[in-house]
Amino acid sequence: MLKDVIRSVDYSDCAEIALAMFVVAFAMMVFAVLRLSRKSADRFASIPLSDQVKDPRDE
Amino acid sequence: MATAETSLDPSDPSGPFESGQTSAGRASEHIESFSYDDDISRKFAVATIVWGLIATIAGLVVALLLVLPKAFVGLEWLTFGRLRPLHTNAAIFAFAGNGIFAAIYYSTQRLCKARMWSDVLSRLHFWGWQLIIVAAAVTLPLGITQSREYAELEWPIDLAIAVVWLGFFGVNFFMTLIKRRERHLYVALWFYIATIVTVTVLHVFNNLVVPIAAFKSYSVYAGVQDAFMQWWYGHNAVAFFLTTPFLGLMYYFLPKAANRPVFSYKLSILHFWSLVFIYIWAGPHHLHYTALPEWASSLGMLFSVMLWMPSWGGMINGLLTLRGAWQKVAVDPVLKFFVVGVTFYGMSTFEGPMLSVKSVNALSHYTDWTIAHVHSGALGWNGMMTFGMLYWLAPRLFQTKLWSVKAATLHFWISTIGILMYIVPIYIAGLTQGLMWRAMDETGQLVYPDFVETISSIAPMWWLRVVGGALFVAGVVLMVVNYFMTWLSRPSTYEVPVYQAPRLAKQADYREPAEVSEAIKDAPMLEAAKKLDTWSRMGWHRRWERLPVRFTILVTLAVVIASLFEIIPTFLIRSNVPTIATVQPYTPLELAGRDIFVSEGCYNCHSQMIRPMVAETKRYGEYSKPGEFVYDHPFQWGSRRIGPDLAREGGKQSNLWHWLHLEDPQSVNEASVMPSYVHLLDTAIDFDKITDRVWAAHMLGAQYDEELTNAPEIARKQAELVAADIVSQGGPIKRGELMTYDTQAVALIAYLQRIGTDIFATPEADDSAETDGPAPGEVPEDVDAIPEVAAGQADPQSDATG
Repeated sequence: MLKDVIRSVDYSDCAEIALAMFVVAFAMMVFAVLRLSRKSADRFASIPLSDQVKDPRDE
Repeated sequence: MATAETSLDPSDPSGPFESGQTSAGRASEHIESFSYDDDISRKFAVATIVWGLIATIAGLVVALLLVLPKAFVGLEWLTFGRLRPLHTNAAIFAFAGNGIFAAIYYSTQRLCKARMWSDVLSRLHFWGWQLIIVAAAVTLPLGITQSREYAELEWPIDLAIAVVWLGFFGVNFFMTLIKRRERHLYVALWFYIATIVTVTVLHVFNNLVVPIAAFKSYSVYAGVQDAFMQWWYGHNAVAFFLTTPFLGLMYYFLPKAANRPVFSYKLSILHFWSLVFIYIWAGPHHLHYTALPEWASSLGMLFSVMLWMPSWGGMINGLLTLRGAWQKVAVDPVLKFFVVGVTFYGMSTFEGPMLSVKSVNALSHYTDWTIAHVHSGALGWNGMMTFGMLYWLAPRLFQTKLWSVKAATLHFWISTIGILMYIVPIYIAGLTQGLMWRAMDETGQLVYPDFVETISSIAPMWWLRVVGGALFVAGVVLMVVNYFMTWLSRPSTYEVPVYQAPRLAKQADYREPAEVSEAIKDAPMLEAAKKLDTWSRMGWHRRWERLPVRFTILVTLAVVIASLFEIIPTFLIRSNVPTIATVQPYTPLELAGRDIFVSEGCYNCHSQMIRPMVAETKRYGEYSKPGEFVYDHPFQWGSRRIGPDLAREGGKQSNLWHWLHLEDPQSVNEASVMPSYVHLLDTAIDFDKITDRVWAAHMLGAQYDEELTNAPEIARKQAELVAADIVSQGGPIKRGELMTYDTQAVALIAYLQRIGTDIFATPEADDSAETDGPAPGEVPEDVDAIPEVAAGQADPQSDATG
């Protein structure tokens, strides 16, 4: 039965489903990025510039 | 740099605590001392330069072999087919590999504010990786190969790679993340995580084999599935070995060199997730117009085109990091290398999606265009970024001044000019090839029917490539000298700064924002709406970004789901696409001959895949069908045509012609650039080992009967028939002490005469060409039983799957 189900699947839809999956994931990421505060972004971006431990570290 | 000893008193301005820290908050915490392990970065940096020199010299040698095919006549270890994989493996895994390890070990420690978790694992990783490279350098020239591009190494070395990559490197890296002192995982670390996870998945699933000897195995996948798996791996090796780690490198070292933060951290987040989501789908674009199902090919194209956007997002982010600092580029060779490297990244990632478009791919595929594209990425992006990083690291790792900034600048100019001199002629060569292959006159005939004409016309371009390649090698030599001289001026003892800081609290209480915002706190609205507002601020996601295990799981899910989406249907092809009844397993001798074909790396020059295009079917014959390859472990479709396609080679030429062609290719075609394979005429075949091959093929689905117990005798009988035919046409009975029928050449000829003939055979029991699976194999005892089919004489009715 499983074989029949698998055979009956139209794999030409894979591209469209994959695209939809990506669009959803991408939209979520855009949203997450837009809600990131400027202060946090600036702080994260400057992490490589110092080799010493900076505090506070929980921001 | 911090001093070696730092005060623990937070009020002391010379101490380790910087502004923003409260003494009260730290008073009760346990202060730890730590230092960074730069010795491991030094080791990898030096290894990068040494292997970079070897890889580029190997490239120069194979470029020379194309224009001087007789350069190493008589030395089978130095043929193009065997050395080309050596060059690609050295460039990818030795040069780029050591380069990314140097970068990762240096930057991860600083980004995590922690020493690598285990010095022992770091050393095991270093020496294990170098041993693997040496093993590759020994086995590939010996013809020990799986013949899967960028995954040629045989199974024992593959096992070693898995242990070193995940067991030593991966464990050490992830434990360092867990034990870090910086709460937020900087985006470069995300790229490193994606690299380690995805390369592990790719490596394991692409290298599933059935071993039959210490250095011989058969892929568990066959034909279409094998091709799919190979290019799922192959494309993503480019994505996750040559792109994501270098992007991590860019996001760390470019801001360092420019001394300013990355242009847009938000863009870097989008860049990362888009790449990770999209890249893994793109592999099938390497198989356009092949026997791969249409849907998979379209999927690969769709996602490849989409890749252009995040890639350029990364390029823009890199270049704009230099905003306001462009004057530094004029004087700093490190930034020069980075600017050109990032620019080449942009060029390559524009060209890649373009080449994935089917109509463009129809022209470019199998030509030198692909070679030019690959080298613009490898030399321009990987090479220049690595050089820039190494020059930036040199004074820091050796704690002295760089020996010569002028020499570094000269290296930059030599390399840049060398790359351009390399790729421009090869682009021209690729376009020339593609256009000549498809050129047809007004009567519908090929304008250049003789394949060798298309090769002869581009030979001058190949000479220019040698010049460009030589310039690039000269640049690397200059760097070796510069590094060596810098190393000579190092201090007698390296200073090891010691930092002091408490560990991170086990659990981060950080959520951004954790509470309902002031604006709506007292507003008359549903509590659910307030909760939604809090959720939509995605503080939970910010939290994920600082949880390495959860983050790694997310990345793994992204690549695994995408892969399964393509792999599961592809693996069902055998039951979904009817196989061809007349396609039978190879005879024992043909199996042995096929292994010689694989071992000699013939796939590096000859494809075995005729695309359904008029010019191709005119030149080679009936286009290839998926059902023809069900016994091909591994597939041999190839990716380039320096010689003609062999998919319909069987029966095209006489046995003697093949014999002479292997002995001296120029004797049968004066303009041929094929090297001599005379050693196959002088080497005996070990008939007794054929039994193992037959059993392995049987285990993988080939239906054998008598062959399982009597393979050597059956093979000998067929060899005698082939040899008798050669002798009857005027060939030798023996060469020296070796009888003709005992030679490896005869086995290879048996295979070559079989290729592509099965679909023209007459079904014996069932006149329907379509079945649910392969019919019981009936191996012809007499090679004369194999029908001789000339190109273009295919019976359309025999197309069982079209």
